[in-house]
Amino acid sequence: MITSLFVKITGYVGDFFLDFEHEFNTGGITVLYGPNGSGKSTIISVLSGFINHLETKIVLNDKSLENTKIFPPHKRPFGTMFQNPILFEHMSVNQNLDYPIKRNKSLEQTLLSKEELIHYLELGSMLNRYPQNLSGGEKLRVALARTILKQSDYLLLDEPMSDLDIKTKARLLNFLKMINKKFKIPILYVSHSIEEISQIADEIILIKNGKKIISGSVSKILNSNSFQRLIGKFESSSVLEGTLIKTNQLMNMTTLDVNGQSLIVPGRPGLENNIVRVRIRSRDIIVSPVKINTHITENELVGIIIKIYTEKNTAFSELVIKLMKSKIKKTSQILRARITTYNLNKMKITENKKVFIYISSVSIDRQAYQY
Amino acid sequence: MDTLNFLGSDFNAVLITLKLALTTCFFLALIGTPLAYFLAFKSKRAKPFLESIVTLPLVLPPTVIGFYLIVFFSPDTPLGKFFILLTGEQLIFSFYGLVLASIIYSLPFWVQPLQSSLEKIGNDTLKTSESLGASKFDTFINVIVPLSKKGFLTSFIISFAHTMGEFGIVLMVGGGIHGKTKVIAISIYDHVEQLSFGKAHFLAGVMLILSFTILLTLFYSNKRSMVKVK
Repeated sequence: MITSLFVKITGYVGDFFLDFEHEFNTGGITVLYGPNGSGKSTIISVLSGFINHLETKIVLNDKSLENTKIFPPHKRPFGTMFQNPILFEHMSVNQNLDYPIKRNKSLEQTLLSKEELIHYLELGSMLNRYPQNLSGGEKLRVALARTILKQSDYLLLDEPMSDLDIKTKARLLNFLKMINKKFKIPILYVSHSIEEISQIADEIILIKNGKKIISGSVSKILNSNSFQRLIGKFESSSVLEGTLIKTNQLMNMTTLDVNGQSLIVPGRPGLENNIVRVRIRSRDIIVSPVKINTHITENELVGIIIKIYTEKNTAFSELVIKLMKSKIKKTSQILRARITTYNLNKMKITENKKVFIYISSVSIDRQAYQY
Repeated sequence: MDTLNFLGSDFNAVLITLKLALTTCFFLALIGTPLAYFLAFKSKRAKPFLESIVTLPLVLPPTVIGFYLIVFFSPDTPLGKFFILLTGEQLIFSFYGLVLASIIYSLPFWVQPLQSSLEKIGNDTLKTSESLGASKFDTFINVIVPLSKKGFLTSFIISFAHTMGEFGIVLMVGGGIHGKTKVIAISIYDHVEQLSFGKAHFLAGVMLILSFTILLTLFYSNKRSMVKVK
């Protein structure tokens, strides 16, 4: 069964007007993305029942939850993890994990058992320790396990990983993907980190100033104009999806197939035939109207310019390029390149022209891999 | 005969004092704890107003409080009438009048330490507990109380000690009646008035030792809980 969730929230929070409506029905991981102060955490608070003065409609699997009298926070079927997760300081890790188990006994176990979670999140060695003696990453793992042990129908995670180092973050994001796929528990994940999004999202909702701007699949949103405007020009980037073909063990390089063109990336982001997502920043792309016959970079892709945005008052232009070899008509992906208008004019590049794209593997963000 | 009498009347004052302090703390736990909880977690707009009221007994001269209490406790007021109806006795100059007065002037001593201890726990801890399936009451018993043990202990000890030591209000409201409302503080005053310094020494010594023991317990247990945390 796919969990469906409909949410509509309207009203003022202080002097800030929230007007949000969305139908969640993917069953996957939905990322709520937006700048600070855009209303992301407010939406989580409304769903968990802690803000109740707004006009709200929440329907989870045909069940209306908006009434906080009938559904106070402790009776809601959500597993919420707030920003800066808190462990109960007077309880050991083990007692913290038992806290939701004791209180939700009536629910059938649909997710991981305590033992499995201890195994997956490597909590075994800290069960008898107290929160004061845990590092930030350890605390977060315990809090995550504790939230999952509530055996809820939907996980709401409010920027849980903002303070973690890249390695731990990648591991936990993989874990979240795993439990999402294996146990069919949908996740609403609040984030304002592009790396996190490109790693775990199935669906993205962009919000700004309390309003939903756009929502849809990862590639649709990350390559949309609204998203690019939101994250600002400096961070402008594209996400390419490719199938892993082979890894050169000796050189530690991996070849991906991106709609018939190959993209060589550093490291080993997965196993053969895995789908890998790679984020490429627009300013790291070199565009040329002619083929360059030396190996200046590892990657040479071919595409057609579909749109050129020349910015007034700055030196830059943004090119929207459809990746395609002229004859093969496959579904193609979009790449954004950022070059100076000076060079654009010199190269005489215009819309609908074929271009060669050069990308150095060095510039490919290792964090942006989806494992 | 004289020695026995000497010990007897003062022993009575000690008993009344302890009984008064314990009864007051019992009622303060019932009234002051929800008030501290409300001030720490719930109130927003009403907070400055409520805090001012709770703190008022700290800054008002005891005679002012005493005066107003006498006015409110007198048999002509609804409160005074109600008490007579209930017990057949008048509220003023009675032990329970003393308890009621003590609750009022010791209220800040219960509420303030507890409130600041609860504020340290923070709203996020409450939300976390509730989102994990615990009701507000469950959260209070299993998260808030254990986390604010120190606050409760401090509130109890300070309220207890302060109730034991109050003089002005107790004299005005209770009248210092032998075996009924005469507490240690008033007995000492009487002894000094009558120049019986021996008796005053004895009672003052009792107070000194009692207060010191209380404070020692407080600071010792604070130190121990600090060590445990580290």
